[in-house]
Amino acid sequence: MAAKSGSLSEQKKSSSFLTHLVLIILCLIWFIPVFGVFVTSFRNSTNVFNSGWWRVFPHQEWQEVNEIKIDADADVNGEIEVTLPNSKTIKGTYESFKNGVNVDGMKIQWYGAKRTRTLKIYEKKWVGFESNLTLDNYRNVLTGKKIQYTGENGETLTRNGSSLGSAFLNSITVTVPATIIPILIAAFAAYGFAWLNFPGRKLFFSMVVAMMVVPLQIAIVPVLSDLSKVNLSGQFLGIWMAHTGFGLPLAIYLLFNYISTIPREILESAFIDGASNFTIFTRLILPLSVPSIASFGIFQFLWVWNDYLVGLVILGGGQKMVITQALANIVGTRGQDWHLLTAGAFVSMIVPLIVFLSLQRYFVRGMMAGSVKG
Amino acid sequence: MKKLSVLLVFVMLVSVFCAAAAQEEKSYLERAYEGEFAGTEVIFDGPFVDNDQVFFEESVKPFEEATGIDIVYVGNKDFESTIQMRVEGGNAPDIADFPQPGLLGQLAKKGYMIDVRDVIDEDWLDENYSDAWLDLAMMEGPDGEEMMAGIWARNNGKSQVYYRPDVWAEAGYTVPTTWDEMVALSHQMVEDGETPWCIGIESGSATGWPATDWLEDIMLRTVSPEQYDAWTRGELKFDSPEVRRAIDIMSEIWFTDGFVYGGREAIATTNFGESVKPLFYDVDGCMMHRMGNFITAYFPEGLEPEVDYDVFYLPPIDEEFGKPYLGGGDIYGVFNEKPEVLAAFEFFSHGESLKFWLGQGGALSPHNDADPEWYKDATEAKIAQFIQEADTFRFDGSDLMPSAVGAGTFWKGMTDLVTGADVDTVVAEIDKGW
Repeated sequence: MAAKSGSLSEQKKSSSFLTHLVLIILCLIWFIPVFGVFVTSFRNSTNVFNSGWWRVFPHQEWQEVNEIKIDADADVNGEIEVTLPNSKTIKGTYESFKNGVNVDGMKIQWYGAKRTRTLKIYEKKWVGFESNLTLDNYRNVLTGKKIQYTGENGETLTRNGSSLGSAFLNSITVTVPATIIPILIAAFAAYGFAWLNFPGRKLFFSMVVAMMVVPLQIAIVPVLSDLSKVNLSGQFLGIWMAHTGFGLPLAIYLLFNYISTIPREILESAFIDGASNFTIFTRLILPLSVPSIASFGIFQFLWVWNDYLVGLVILGGGQKMVITQALANIVGTRGQDWHLLTAGAFVSMIVPLIVFLSLQRYFVRGMMAGSVKG
Repeated sequence: MKKLSVLLVFVMLVSVFCAAAAQEEKSYLERAYEGEFAGTEVIFDGPFVDNDQVFFEESVKPFEEATGIDIVYVGNKDFESTIQMRVEGGNAPDIADFPQPGLLGQLAKKGYMIDVRDVIDEDWLDENYSDAWLDLAMMEGPDGEEMMAGIWARNNGKSQVYYRPDVWAEAGYTVPTTWDEMVALSHQMVEDGETPWCIGIESGSATGWPATDWLEDIMLRTVSPEQYDAWTRGELKFDSPEVRRAIDIMSEIWFTDGFVYGGREAIATTNFGESVKPLFYDVDGCMMHRMGNFITAYFPEGLEPEVDYDVFYLPPIDEEFGKPYLGGGDIYGVFNEKPEVLAAFEFFSHGESLKFWLGQGGALSPHNDADPEWYKDATEAKIAQFIQEADTFRFDGSDLMPSAVGAGTFWKGMTDLVTGADVDTVVAEIDKGW
């Protein structure tokens, strides 16, 4: 008996060990690049362009310790003999010295072209943490790079370039209503589809569900042209409506699945007590469906926050630029400032992270809701 | 004395008369300067952001102040893909900046663009633009007839090589005036332990375009302008002796051992903007970089033009084709016939609209009335001068080809060439795009 249970617990141990191992590997695969981006976001641009982010940590590096000048009368095209500081002499050609010669733990390398007539001696030394970390990237991202230009009288003027500051506000202005409106409409609709009897209920419901397969890329140009006709393109109201429309089918479907699993008895007893449909909806349905509303809320919020296409096409940029557009613009017309993306990515991540963490306890519950029906 | 005053009266009468006549048909721009459209807005869309956006906004400021018209710049990096959507969705801007004429041509063909000749005085256009620029603006309209779809507002020059005069003087090199001299100089540099060229063609989804510029430059120097035009239209195939020869000439520089910084393997993986940086290394960098004048945006800060860097004209190959010049540019198209929009549009046909930008560098003016004094530095002015003096000016071929080739197989084919594909495969692959 004891032996048996021992093997069982051993089995459990080894399987949980495997699970943990897989989880750790998956986490590392995810974590290492994010960490790299995080470190990069604190490095100054010269270092970002010249070396990898792991160089921030202590490592060994060849460092110059001395140099040897070659006599002016020596022929640099032939074989050259040089005397090292430890009075050893070595021979070599330009090519061999250019590739570096290793002697006694030192590396002797030709510096530059032949005409410099200089050899440099390097030794491997430890380099500590990179000391010149900076918050400049974050500052440039939040307030815009300082762009310098020459004024009419030759004076140097500065102006700030594109920044995430106002785009951040725009994104919030877009995202909050574009999350709340579909939830409100969808909750009403889901209640109606689940509990009210009206002709064509099944047909309408299948139509809504069928909408989910229409890709938004196909619908966006017609939507834009309709919005332009009523002068809503480029307006926040227009983009709220667009996001609401694109989000509704999934919202109705998710909430329907949940609301239709609420036990009939609860609703019937409410009816017997004289509650109207509206009372039932506000007093019973809404409080009961918080988990599924929250999980859809996360979905919709993240989707709208991360959306680039709809914002770009319907709002069009300029003063009403959303954060994803600002991120794209911040690298400059020819992408020369891509190092700013690292800081930009973290700044734009903050809000979705807060939303997700604060609502995540509902997330799994809401997703599971209605998936197994008795 | 009496005679003089009679003359004076006469002159005054004539000028009053002329002014009255002019009053009849004042251009939109003149009316705007009188303040007629104050308080209106013009929506301007384009592909440039950040620095360039600041330069643009500062450039139009004098116009805004004088007329009271507000030019609102919305712009985004995906302009090329969104403009079509926005135009078809009925949400077109008033004026847009097209970095490639092909895109404007598509919209003109669908009938979204206004013919410039209907809204700006043709005499003025003839006066302020060379025929080459006016011809490049002619595109097929919706009814199949030619229309002038836009006006050239900014251009760049590509047939120049950047180098460092101080380093060259120290090493005893002189600027080559023929292609053979340039190749010989490259060999000399390798001999001296230097790396002659810096080349990088990585550019995200557009990887390969700097290579197409090189090939176009060589094509211009080895075939007649007419053949070049036929090539951009697809009539001269890539699989032809002419193009193969150009590829061979290019390969000699690109693929000879020791010619390119980092070797052949580095060309395709080095970002074009990063590739210029070794030019300014103290040692172990490179000596020459052939690139459009916009590359100065990537130069390290604090360099003095003509001292720390300078340009020379990419030398001719076949003497009979003279000194051609390759360039690109941005063309503005107008979608809307509101008077304030047309006034702003007309403003862009004046060199003055670019004065500020020229002073910041990175842009050249296609306008005849632009003063060379306006350029930021002597190097930029020198490039503008090169273009003026060129025997022929041709537009970047890959921008003229349909995008399946010019922004597709051409880019990809050149990248494959660099990474080791043989010429037969490459030309066949590019030709497939037509």
